[in-house]
Amino acid sequence: MNADGAAPHIELAGVSRTYLQGSVEEVRALQALDLEFAPGAFVSVEGPSGCGKTTLLNLLGLLDAPTEGEVRWNGRSVGALSDRERARLRLRGVGFIFQRFYLLPTLTARENVELPMRALGVPRAERARRASELLSEVGLSGRERAFPHQLSGGEEQRVAVARAVANQPGLLLADEPTGELDSAHAQGILDLVERVRRARSATLILVTHNPEVAARADRHLTMRDGKVVRDTRGA
Amino acid sequence: MMRFGRGRSLRHARLQFVLAVAAIAASVALPVILISVGGGVSAHEIANLQDAGYQIVVSAAGLHGITAAHQRSLEILSLGSVVAASPVLSVAIDAYAPSGALSPVLAEGIIPGQFGPTLSPAEKGLIPLPLALGDPTDMIHYANGTYRGTATYDVLVSSPYASIYHVTTGDQILLSPSTNRSLGIEYNVTGVFGVLPTFLGPTAGYLILMPLSDLQVMTGFGPGGTGTAYDVADTIQVAVTGSVAVNPSALQAVRDTIQSLVPLYSVTSLTQEAAQLESANSVLTGFDLALSSVGLTIGLLFLALVLLRRVESDRRSIGIRRALGLPGWSIAGTILRDGLMIALPGAVTGVLVGYLVVEALATWATSTVQEAAQLAVFDPGILGEIVLGVAGLSLLASALASRSALRLPIAEALR
Repeated sequence: MNADGAAPHIELAGVSRTYLQGSVEEVRALQALDLEFAPGAFVSVEGPSGCGKTTLLNLLGLLDAPTEGEVRWNGRSVGALSDRERARLRLRGVGFIFQRFYLLPTLTARENVELPMRALGVPRAERARRASELLSEVGLSGRERAFPHQLSGGEEQRVAVARAVANQPGLLLADEPTGELDSAHAQGILDLVERVRRARSATLILVTHNPEVAARADRHLTMRDGKVVRDTRGA
Repeated sequence: MMRFGRGRSLRHARLQFVLAVAAIAASVALPVILISVGGGVSAHEIANLQDAGYQIVVSAAGLHGITAAHQRSLEILSLGSVVAASPVLSVAIDAYAPSGALSPVLAEGIIPGQFGPTLSPAEKGLIPLPLALGDPTDMIHYANGTYRGTATYDVLVSSPYASIYHVTTGDQILLSPSTNRSLGIEYNVTGVFGVLPTFLGPTAGYLILMPLSDLQVMTGFGPGGTGTAYDVADTIQVAVTGSVAVNPSALQAVRDTIQSLVPLYSVTSLTQEAAQLESANSVLTGFDLALSSVGLTIGLLFLALVLLRRVESDRRSIGIRRALGLPGWSIAGTILRDGLMIALPGAVTGVLVGYLVVEALATWATSTVQEAAQLAVFDPGILGEIVLGVAGLSLLASALASRSALRLPIAEALR
């Protein structure tokens, strides 16, 4: 489906996602979405809290499954995949950058970056070399052995970016990656994410509240109440 | 150096780790103590049986025991491969020391010349041979069942009795079948013998040896009330030649021949008894293990609980790993490894604690427990099996936690 990690062509056809809140109340996080993402696109997703942005990202990144409709990668439905196949696809094809970084606290910066490569079976020497290169690329040379609690927020997010691109995925999903950073650090992280996206011709789908951040994208989705209310193209 | 975060997550929950290791250790120490002490005592008893100077024993239940003991012993002795047939009558009587002090003693009536060859090597080192009891064949007093011959009135006393009541060779003690001193007869103390350590306590240490006929007459197991001689013994211990003793089938043949001579009595070979004891011991070991498995189960349930709690507290880390696409086996492997890192130190600590407890019992416990603990045997094979068993069961506990981890909805775990 996407074994080489190249940017996938993604389609959402009639996708809805509902959650049970408590035991009876149903929350419709996404409602009948029809979307298409071309390989290599840079798409921003905006909207108020609770409008379904993160749910959309989770569906695109195969962390969750729709309750209705279909998510297709390169024309093939991912709903039929087993947990193992979905995990493999995430490992090889998707890079996540979370708002709260989500580094593993018991691993050093380098080990965090190595983790996806290790799971992919990259030989130890090779993954150590690549992790060092990536950390150097994000400006963290000399911080390889630091644990997350020894890093600043900006540094943690840089490690998270390095980890997201470690397996050279074709799809980068960033959920408010600068939400917890000051503007100076935020700018640096965005520059970095864009740079690695371009270098790898990856698709980048970025959730943000910030219009300045969204302005960097080629396509802009605005969501409200689980629906895309505006879909515009152009920087 | 820890590789790739190995063990760091456990260090983060040090108290949980220590408590879980302690729980496993406590649950392992119990079977170690039970099996090592129980096995040691059984092995000691089996060794005693195998080291005994006799190989076949004729016995009879009930008050009257084996009648015509002298005659039957002679018949058994006439069999080709039998080197000694020693009838033994054991009766509790009263002894008055030279000081007048009264004490119950266990009197063993024996035929001196037959008794010596049935002693174990250890006993032979404690009892001076030939026994200084006058008539080696006990035939003078017995006088063909009339009991009209001259009694020797010789007695040997055990060293504990001699020590406590200040009795020495050459003294006279009064022996009576009851506390009625007027029924007593003066006996010459012709020697003192040592006794083997026993689990029965000091009572068995108050032992005296005297000619069988003398004891039979004194206690009424000799001439009957109507003038009939009962000539009673409790057992007849039979020693066979060395070549027969080590050949189970030849020993069985001798046993069968003796059984045909005394069809109304029980005839067992010590080989049989040792086999029965070993069989009983293995049943007991199984029971110990079953009992211990309750403790082990509790320990492992605690481990499962700790691991499940860790899955709960690590749900975000697990969610991150799964979001990154790490395969399920990698996540399960981390939990299995954590389980082993608790179970293995726990099991090894449990073995050490069990060993130390047994050592402490062997040093400081009350005498009976102390003696039992001193016989404890730590079989590396069994201890290894316990450790491996705990490791195996910990994998089950870890599998339970792994299943829970792999069922976590990723999106929820990341919230």
